[in-house]
Amino acid sequence: MSDNPWQDDRGNKDATITRKEGMGQATVHAGEGQTHPAPGGPFLIGEKMTGGYGKGPDILHDCTISVDRGEIAVIVGPNGAGKSTAMKAIFGMLDVRSGSVRLDGEDITDLSPQARVVKGMGFVPQTNNIFTSMTVEENLEMGAFIRTDDISETMEQVYDLFPILREKRRQAAGELSGGQRQQVAVGRALMTRPKVLMLDEPTAGVSPIVMDELFDRIIEVSRTGIPILMVEQNARQALEIADKGYVLVQGRNAYTGSGKELLSDPEVRKSFLGG
Amino acid sequence: MNETVKNVGLFALVGALILLTGVMQSWNTAVLILNMGLISAIMAIGVNLQWGFAGLFNVGVMGFVALGGLAVVLTSMPPVKEAWAAGGLRIVAGLLLGAATIAAAVVVNKRMAKSGKRAIVMIVILVGGFFLYRGVLDPGVAAVEAVNPASTGYLGGLGLPVLLAWPVGGLLAAGAAWLVGKTALGLRSDYLAIATLGIAEIIIAIMKNEDWLARGVKNVVGLPRPLPYEIDLQQDPAFVDRVTSLGLDPVTASTMYVKLGYSILFLVVLLILLWMAQMALKSPWGRMMRAIRDNEVAAEAMGKDVTARHLQVFIIGSAICGLAGAMMTTLDGQLTPGTYQPLRFTFLIWVMVIVGGSGNNFGAVLGAMLIWFLWVQVEPIGLWLLQVLTSGMADTNPLKQHLLDSAAHMRLLTMGLILLLVLRFSPRGLIPEK
Amino acid sequence: MDFLNALVALSNFVLIPAITYGSQLALGALGVTLIYGILRFSNFAHGDTMAFGTMVTILFTWWLQSMGWHLGPLPTALLALPLGILGCIALLLVTDRLVYRFYREQKAKPVILVIVSMGVMFIMNGLVRFIIGPDDQRFADGTRFLVTAREFKKATGLNEGLALKATQGITIVTAVVVVALLFWFLNRTRTGKSMRAYSDNEDLALLSGINPERVVMYTWMIVAALATIAGVLYGLDKSFKPFVYFQLLLPIFASAIVGGLGNPLGAIAGGFIIAFSEVTITYAWKKVLVYLMPEPLEPEGLVQLLSTDYKFAVSFVILLIVLLFRPTGIFKGKAV
Repeated sequence: MSDNPWQDDRGNKDATITRKEGMGQATVHAGEGQTHPAPGGPFLIGEKMTGGYGKGPDILHDCTISVDRGEIAVIVGPNGAGKSTAMKAIFGMLDVRSGSVRLDGEDITDLSPQARVVKGMGFVPQTNNIFTSMTVEENLEMGAFIRTDDISETMEQVYDLFPILREKRRQAAGELSGGQRQQVAVGRALMTRPKVLMLDEPTAGVSPIVMDELFDRIIEVSRTGIPILMVEQNARQALEIADKGYVLVQGRNAYTGSGKELLSDPEVRKSFLGG
Repeated sequence: MNETVKNVGLFALVGALILLTGVMQSWNTAVLILNMGLISAIMAIGVNLQWGFAGLFNVGVMGFVALGGLAVVLTSMPPVKEAWAAGGLRIVAGLLLGAATIAAAVVVNKRMAKSGKRAIVMIVILVGGFFLYRGVLDPGVAAVEAVNPASTGYLGGLGLPVLLAWPVGGLLAAGAAWLVGKTALGLRSDYLAIATLGIAEIIIAIMKNEDWLARGVKNVVGLPRPLPYEIDLQQDPAFVDRVTSLGLDPVTASTMYVKLGYSILFLVVLLILLWMAQMALKSPWGRMMRAIRDNEVAAEAMGKDVTARHLQVFIIGSAICGLAGAMMTTLDGQLTPGTYQPLRFTFLIWVMVIVGGSGNNFGAVLGAMLIWFLWVQVEPIGLWLLQVLTSGMADTNPLKQHLLDSAAHMRLLTMGLILLLVLRFSPRGLIPEK
Repeated sequence: MDFLNALVALSNFVLIPAITYGSQLALGALGVTLIYGILRFSNFAHGDTMAFGTMVTILFTWWLQSMGWHLGPLPTALLALPLGILGCIALLLVTDRLVYRFYREQKAKPVILVIVSMGVMFIMNGLVRFIIGPDDQRFADGTRFLVTAREFKKATGLNEGLALKATQGITIVTAVVVVALLFWFLNRTRTGKSMRAYSDNEDLALLSGINPERVVMYTWMIVAALATIAGVLYGLDKSFKPFVYFQLLLPIFASAIVGGLGNPLGAIAGGFIIAFSEVTITYAWKKVLVYLMPEPLEPEGLVQLLSTDYKFAVSFVILLIVLLFRPTGIFKGKAV
């Protein structure tokens, strides 16, 4: 039973009076909080973040993640290390009790996720990251919802990056294959012309061939000049394309370095890359 | 201990309100409120069992209550021999044919593989069966309804003692609930709400239109009573002697005697049900029900048959509503299908359960008594309030006349307001679940 | 000739009434389905919302009539309809502000909202009865018939007449226009698409910068318009009585669910399925069959499958049958 009496539905699952699919989990914070200038440092940095969900225990401890212009930064680590949590903390979906998040010379620690999108963060969640009942094109349009200018050029760029989407643009996104859905999800996030793109396990649940293709696409996105921060389960492949890598263990920075350094570090290899 | 004091206080408050009615209005009204309050409390226990313990959303309470009422007619009224002779057997045969048709369709649906052929066979069985059923039934119905239509025109009942009708009402409602639950309770999701809403309408439609069954909207009046008639009491010298010796008027005393007699009967039933519901709540069965409610996936993983348990609790809850319906019809002494309305018999019971406290039996009882009191008293209070508010206006003022005429509708407004206020500011109800 | 007569009788007594009633149900069901799709609960107050919008329209109709305003052959109520819609929008937005919004902030479970809507239902029901009273109100004026049975018989020389009431014509035309507008709005406009997006995936809609409060506001406004239009059309065609409107909730729910809750196309299909089954099952077919059957086979009785009092029961039997074989309704899957 939940503490909130209005969240107790007594296990009712009556489909004729309630609809559960698509229901939101996130709480609504429409543009609260202030930013203040904080020049210098990397383009995007979550510095010494400590925090957890709601009133729960801390999951992150003094964790620092950053990415600079033109870079791909990858967060890897064992299951339950707090990889996704670290990314969510940067995106504002977590209560960060100490530490700060800065983007492009501005401290955005107090901003809600929605406000961070407006500030130029593009975020692709791990699951439920597309509008399944809408067409590919509509997904992209919705991605650009906050924009008031002409979006057709950006849409063309996304179609150039992901040609398969141009082909399927009139098709419902839910009917696409797993790899194609991920492309829609990334494309949707790109529609705001973000200053930084954050991907939460983009290759979860896709076949190795599709995974390789997705990584190729991500490199292409990065070549357009957008810094990319990515959480990955497939540590070896991810570190191969990474400029910077973070190995997290129990919510703390365990190893940090360039992708190559981490791949050749015997400790990292032994503990996290299977020898 | 503090909590017990509060709960006792709440019950005492409702009791005081009813006593106040007795002092200020009339004892007759007070006992009437008490009696219907007790019956409402039983209905609320039934709904609370379904919603509070199992999260089942039953919006067809009215139908089960009405079935209970039907049971009283079918059990206690004397059989109409001429009607049975005229077409009784034909009707029974027709109904059996109808049931056989549906059974055959179900069997075909189960046994045959899904194909166009099955669909055709089904349609042939259903359409053919329907016409056969109507062909057999209709002449019987016409014959039965032609027998002395002004006073009977129906088959009558079994002529058994009326108290027996109460459990029969429960059984009838349980049967309907089994049918509904069997079809509407699924594994991943269910569609109980709409199914119960529908079955209630169907039951009322049948009771209104099938005159051979219980005279439809012509009503069945003069149902047997478990208690003596006032007029007999007044003519009983022993009774008259006793009440006059107590300094009471025999006429008043006889009506109070009968009404309080009902109160005691209802109270006994309520206490037994309350005791049973409390025992069930504390038993391993109750713990399992709550385990299912709070975490169905885990309960299922432990090998609990969730659907079967849901069906069980739905049937029991509906049976309790049927029992209450039978009691209500006995109290009324007549069956009037036209008076069954969803606002009064379904949604008002829901207000009682939510206000009292979902998941708490005592809460349901308290909510029922309190809401029933308000349902009756809001009208006079509203009228009084409007009279005070409009006292400055001239009697010919059309607005004043309109307001005073509309005072009766304050009732629904108030019920909605109470429900919303409780949901908002005391969402667990007056006596929350522990 | 006999065949034509049968066809005319069929149109007159079955097709036209069923299409009219189906349009009214479809408009009502669209409102229910939009709330289900976007706000994620079944709104028990929908019948009373219809009653409220219709009541406001009737009050304005009376006022316009007293001012001597008329629409010529068309009912004055059409002139008052926009005002009725505005009144209904105001009521729903105030209700949302005072009641529903709190539960959204609390992230309340949908079933709690269903119970909340019961309370709103009581209040709206009481409000309507308080203002206009529980009695029957007729407010249709203007031309009664587009085609009368006598004119039709004279023109065609057939035995059977075909009558088309003005209100039936208005209902069908209005319903087509409203449905076309609604689909254009949902599929072609930015706001409409954002509503679909919110229905599909709330969290992602939030990430995309869609403001849930705006989506909810637009939903209530559209629902108010649909409910008022459906209610006024029903009232023009039959009559207005608060209790009847409350009861309309049942076939409207049935329509929305038969079609597949949350799906607008399904709501329309469901409306017509329910209307046609109600009318065909409770219609006395003798009139049509006498023309079609050879004389010796002509039916003796009325050939009425069930008495008209069973019409609500019919909608639910259809509903139960559909749910038995296809629990998600006919148009399953795609919501809003």
